[in-house]
Amino acid sequence: MARRVFITGAGVISSLGDSPAKLHTALCEGRAGLRQIELFSTEGLGCHLGGEIASFSPNNYLGERNFRPLDRTSQLVAATAQMALDDSGWTVEMRSQNEVGLVLGTMFCSVHTISQFDRRALVAGPAYASPMDFSNTVINAAAGQTAIWHNLRGVNSTIAAGSVSGLQAIIYATELIRTGRAKAILAGGADELCFESFYGFNRAELLCGSNHSPGDFPIPFDQKRNGFALGEGAALLMLEDAESAAERGAHVLAEISGQGSGFDPSRGADRRKSIATIARAIRLALDDAHVKADEVDCLSMSANGSVQADRNEAEAAALVFGARAGTIPVTAIKSMLGETLGASGAMQTISLVEAVRDRTLPGINRLDTVEENFPLAKASPEKQKLDLSNGLINSIGFDGGCCSMVLTSCA
Amino acid sequence: MQTRVVVSGIGTVTSIGTGCEPFWNNLLAGRCGIAPVGSFDTSSYSVHRGAEVKDFDGKAYVSKLDCDSIGRASQFAIAAARLALADANLDLSMLDPERVGVTIGTTSGEPQMIERFDDAAESGALNTVGPEFMRFYPCHVIAAHVASELDLEGINVTIPAACAAGNYAIAHAFDVLRSGRSDLMLAGGSDSFSRITYTGFARLGAIAPEVCQPFDRNRKGMVPGEGAGILVLEPLERAIARGARIYAEVAGYGLSCDAHHMTAAHPLGPARAMEKALEETCTKPEQISYISAHGTGTPTNDLIETIAVKRVFKDAAYRTPISSIKSMLGHTMGAASAIEAAVCALAIFHSRVPPTMNLQEPDPECDLDYVPNRSREHEVNIAMNNAYAFGGNNASLILRKIEA
Repeated sequence: MARRVFITGAGVISSLGDSPAKLHTALCEGRAGLRQIELFSTEGLGCHLGGEIASFSPNNYLGERNFRPLDRTSQLVAATAQMALDDSGWTVEMRSQNEVGLVLGTMFCSVHTISQFDRRALVAGPAYASPMDFSNTVINAAAGQTAIWHNLRGVNSTIAAGSVSGLQAIIYATELIRTGRAKAILAGGADELCFESFYGFNRAELLCGSNHSPGDFPIPFDQKRNGFALGEGAALLMLEDAESAAERGAHVLAEISGQGSGFDPSRGADRRKSIATIARAIRLALDDAHVKADEVDCLSMSANGSVQADRNEAEAAALVFGARAGTIPVTAIKSMLGETLGASGAMQTISLVEAVRDRTLPGINRLDTVEENFPLAKASPEKQKLDLSNGLINSIGFDGGCCSMVLTSCA
Repeated sequence: MQTRVVVSGIGTVTSIGTGCEPFWNNLLAGRCGIAPVGSFDTSSYSVHRGAEVKDFDGKAYVSKLDCDSIGRASQFAIAAARLALADANLDLSMLDPERVGVTIGTTSGEPQMIERFDDAAESGALNTVGPEFMRFYPCHVIAAHVASELDLEGINVTIPAACAAGNYAIAHAFDVLRSGRSDLMLAGGSDSFSRITYTGFARLGAIAPEVCQPFDRNRKGMVPGEGAGILVLEPLERAIARGARIYAEVAGYGLSCDAHHMTAAHPLGPARAMEKALEETCTKPEQISYISAHGTGTPTNDLIETIAVKRVFKDAAYRTPISSIKSMLGHTMGAASAIEAAVCALAIFHSRVPPTMNLQEPDPECDLDYVPNRSREHEVNIAMNNAYAFGGNNASLILRKIEA
């Protein structure tokens, strides 16, 4: 009998609030965390909108300490980890006696830190580049820094799979617990909003407004969608082996019951292949969870306003769920958070954990008119009441990667 | 009965040879790939040497993707993957592509892409940076490019666990195969020579001016390098069924985190990774017949590593050959532990262990058997591959001989 994996705590810092409950409330109220970016200048770029965390200060979470060794991404992760550790009851004493792991999904960790380090050496000469900043140029820097901060001596791993990184990290951590290699792992993801990645996505014409059509809000599945908004944040869940969670009397929020992933080698060029790959990841997750397609009561979609990817995801859901796809409640929280890249899958997971608790699923903000034959008839801008037993979370990348996970209520 | 996972193919791109056989022969011969840096101007640095892969021709391996567009680490990874598949005598068309996955470790991903961005930004020409930056820069493209080139549809993950990344990637592939989620995995690591990495290690004062001499009393540091190592991993039963040549079995692994310092190692973390690997594989320290050291050549690493090995192995530490191939290849970053895992498999298969080169004067504090300067005939039944990284990420992998 395989070990079961429970979620026993969560932490999140997002443009919509700095706790799972605040995030959920904002999502259900249809508040968007998207506004004119202030972190850097967007002058001359087609898009000016981002899901920026206003006035983030690590002191609020970690006390008055020297944060100089940590860049913004590491600060976000260390602060979020504090929240998830507190929420799950993993005290300093417990951490000194037991190994807690950390698996962080990220697309860039900090391309801003990397670029600044390189540019300083370019301008002033290599002798002026900062050794301390160098240690933050590695892509596992945030995971390493957070482990130091919180004394997390277990498995420490960083997972990169583009915008799928966060969900893939949770899947990876789940696997480590199932195989008995770890009892408790903080798993999730993070990415910061910075000029370098924003510039890149804008030049790739993936942002709403960057492809020279009117720069509206990103509206998943809407006819008018023309790209996503870039967001930022960190989200971590405490995952624990079910038996050891029970032994220590942990409060259980939900179970991660199944997972699946796939890769489309055409990376979107072959539409049918893309759809089939997403559908396969969903089916693998359902099989792994021993959940039948008609036992799924809600879908947390990866859709972020991208023209092709949103359509592919909806069609994949139709392939798996058939006519029932039109009756399953659907949400797409990137309509409000933007595309938070490595954090996104973990944000979706936390959102669904909250939906279980509050029996309410957020709507898809600003959704107005869907395309003809759009299969997900329950997609709506309004929140809806829901008794959730099994929720499906999708995470779909820009370039071929995708994964799905089944979250099961423990109530 | 748990699935047993074996290494049935090896592909390497290194400064001392591309392809398993030339690489292995040069390694045993003690050839050194360290030379003046050619890929960028080092005149403003106080050090000038690196272990670059000269004369690498990506076009010889990259056919489906546009070789000129993708980054050097992706090209290395694709080359190593193709070489590994050829070495494994595998025809991918015989496999279900949905059940073939890719896990690749890296330190820097495709650093030339951000270096180009920075050059453009500093020269006021950022507008020359186009959509290719986002398409080819993020580090996950390495595993994605391998899968795209080879049409593989299984699990696809890049693990940027810095200098221990190769071991992390192999470890993850091992778990994926054991859980039955794949029939075959291409697992390893890849990194390309990078200005950013070179600058950073130079600023840490970690780069040796001339040679890399791990465990020597006068060792002066590491030497940045580049390359890739990819292993074909598959379940033992499938390998036997197709009559594959099996180099070794991947027996298990251990991961740990120092939670101590970003760049300064601590012996307890590495020791815990070794202990976990031993425990998982039910191996006693005295049963290990070869250790592939992390062995970067920095004064601290080699000392801390020696202390950690002694802590775990006790008296057996003195009887176990341990060598650092970084003395020849330099530090190939995320590729290093993948190439070193390949070396463990080859040492098991050929009953020969590679030397630690440039070890002239023993360090009284590093007093183990480092196989100095000459490869050695030595029956290797069980090998341990150790790797340590920035962020205190430690990974120990255990490979063993498949009984005939």
